[in-house]
Amino acid sequence: METAAAPWWIWPLALFALTYLLGIVAVVAGIGGGVLFVPIVGSFFPFHLDFVRGAGLVLALAGTLAAAPLLLRARLSNLRLVLPLALAGSIASLCGAVVGLALPTHVVQVALGAVIVGVALLMWRTDVHGRLALESDALGELLRLKGEFHDPAAGADIDWRTHRTVAGLAAFTGIGFFGGVFGLGAGFANVPALSVLMGAPLKVAVGSSGLMISIINSSAAWVYINRGALLPLIAIPSILGIMLGARLGARMLRTAPAGTVRRIVIAVMLLAGARALLRGLGLWI
Amino acid sequence: MDLDQRAEALYADWLDRLVRIAFSVSLVALLLYVSGALESYVPLSALPELWRLPLAQYLERSASPTGWGWIALVRHGDYLNLVAIALFALIVLVSYLRLIPALPRLQAAIAAAQVLVLLAAMSGLF
Repeated sequence: METAAAPWWIWPLALFALTYLLGIVAVVAGIGGGVLFVPIVGSFFPFHLDFVRGAGLVLALAGTLAAAPLLLRARLSNLRLVLPLALAGSIASLCGAVVGLALPTHVVQVALGAVIVGVALLMWRTDVHGRLALESDALGELLRLKGEFHDPAAGADIDWRTHRTVAGLAAFTGIGFFGGVFGLGAGFANVPALSVLMGAPLKVAVGSSGLMISIINSSAAWVYINRGALLPLIAIPSILGIMLGARLGARMLRTAPAGTVRRIVIAVMLLAGARALLRGLGLWI
Repeated sequence: MDLDQRAEALYADWLDRLVRIAFSVSLVALLLYVSGALESYVPLSALPELWRLPLAQYLERSASPTGWGWIALVRHGDYLNLVAIALFALIVLVSYLRLIPALPRLQAAIAAAQVLVLLAAMSGLF
């Protein structure tokens, strides 16, 4: 079908259906929706990448905002941990959004494709279970980056702390910048940074990553709003779709085959990433 | 309940409340927009030709404003929906303002710096 000839209402309906599905899959696979949304919509929908990245940012923002109260009440997100890291990330994300909107489209498309393929390969190869930190470093102690949560699987209260705080701050500066450039929440990078690098328990890393995305993306979202790069007919159906899908995903979390879903997600990311890469290189328009 | 738990519960309550409001506003605004109940600034039928353009060309062809210029256009369906998006982007800022008095001094200072970053982002300077 020639996309320009299709009536306008097809696209918001298709976006709603896609993001509803992404909401379910994202929760079950433990990723943010943006990492799938941007390459899929950027490659297979008729919208310019500038608008897709803006929608990707607010989609990840809305999805993580909706989940954050549940995570905080379950003590799986930790504000003390999130506050300094999100501050570093949101300053960088602001800069990333400005840079991303200034770069030529084909450069962003090639870089996006390369990043998505790289992330898919990392998700395939990397074990995100880090070794728990036994002692805080000096900055972590000053900021009191530690806590306690109840792990129903272990049937015990787990005391935890983090280390390598300066490296963690540097990592979230880099992650925030990339998130701003590409319109991603970057949960795929937050979790290993918190778990493998800083030594937080995996459940706290996953929960705190969501809270962090909601804060980091709030600053970059304003850049896209002020530059006129948010088209409501793309963004709003996507926000509503992912929020409703994520509710169903949360309910399916206990029974869904997470391993299979994760493999499907990696395959879709490889396909969409390769498409973005080839499109950016002018090899598959 | 210790100080951390109280602050987290307070933050969670505010996020919860504001997300429900933003979701409801988004749903109503979208229905008003796509049903044609509110006239849109950029006609819906023109969008398939415009949304494939790079941002600079889109802004020129559609005569759309940048910065805070959109506020003057909220009577139009498309810009009413931008209000809904802006509400999502405001939730963290409002919740942080409520959270700061409940935090220990160092964390309160970090949260205040975050508020300044969000205000700078909102300002339209970037």
